[in-house]
Amino acid sequence: MAKRKSLIKIKPKKYKVGDIVKVDFIVIHPMDTGMRKDKKTGKIIPAHYINDVQFFYNDQLITKMIVWESVSTNPYFSINMKITGPGKIKVVYKDNQGEVHEKTKKVKPKKG
Amino acid sequence: MERRGFLKGLAGACALTAVGAPTISLAENKKPKSPNAITYKKALEIITKGKGAKDSEKINLIVPEIAENGAVVPVKVTVDYPMDPNNYVKSIHVLATKNSNARCADVFLTPLNGKAYFATRIKLGGTQEVVAVAELGDGTFIKAQKSVKVTIGGCG
Repeated sequence: MAKRKSLIKIKPKKYKVGDIVKVDFIVIHPMDTGMRKDKKTGKIIPAHYINDVQFFYNDQLITKMIVWESVSTNPYFSINMKITGPGKIKVVYKDNQGEVHEKTKKVKPKKG
Repeated sequence: MERRGFLKGLAGACALTAVGAPTISLAENKKPKSPNAITYKKALEIITKGKGAKDSEKINLIVPEIAENGAVVPVKVTVDYPMDPNNYVKSIHVLATKNSNARCADVFLTPLNGKAYFATRIKLGGTQEVVAVAELGDGTFIKAQKSVKVTIGGCG
């Protein structure tokens, strides 16, 4: 299983309990459609794309996505989320070749 | 007689190249089919379960008018609708009308999202329309569409 780089960003950086924040998730992934040819060998590159992304906040499912190959290389997904308290955001993503990865980020709302 | 013969030969040669050329180019440029190929009409039917979707101004779809690179087209969708626990936007779907697989992403939201918002980047094979479909709490579907001009295709 290949190692994948991914990133979770919360925007804005400073937030309080009750705020609605933007959560960005970016992962380095080829997202091959299965329709492109390798220019050197002339063979078709097999389809390899992320097909399932799930956002959890304190182990509660917030958003589920079914993704198809028409999403760009190194995909970027952004959703909104309501901050209810400290905890962590977890993103689990699967691809059509059976890879399963996850990424977590701590949520630290500011007091006041 | 000589000229006639020459012209006949020329016509024959032309016909041969005309017939021969397309078959050669077909064999060379035969594009593999997408594993999940589906047309826009069929995809919309599956998503809305045959109900169909109405055009609405509640969906705000933000796409560039002209995309220089079809491989990376940013898409932003917001739905002007409350996110109460009992009445919320259940899902947002992003479709591209002329891609071989018209579906791009299906997003299933919950009331914990706070706002119905989704953004991503998609590939477009050519100039076409990007469609956003949303399912509301009462089971109805609404959609919005915008055309994007692509100067370089992104698929294949």
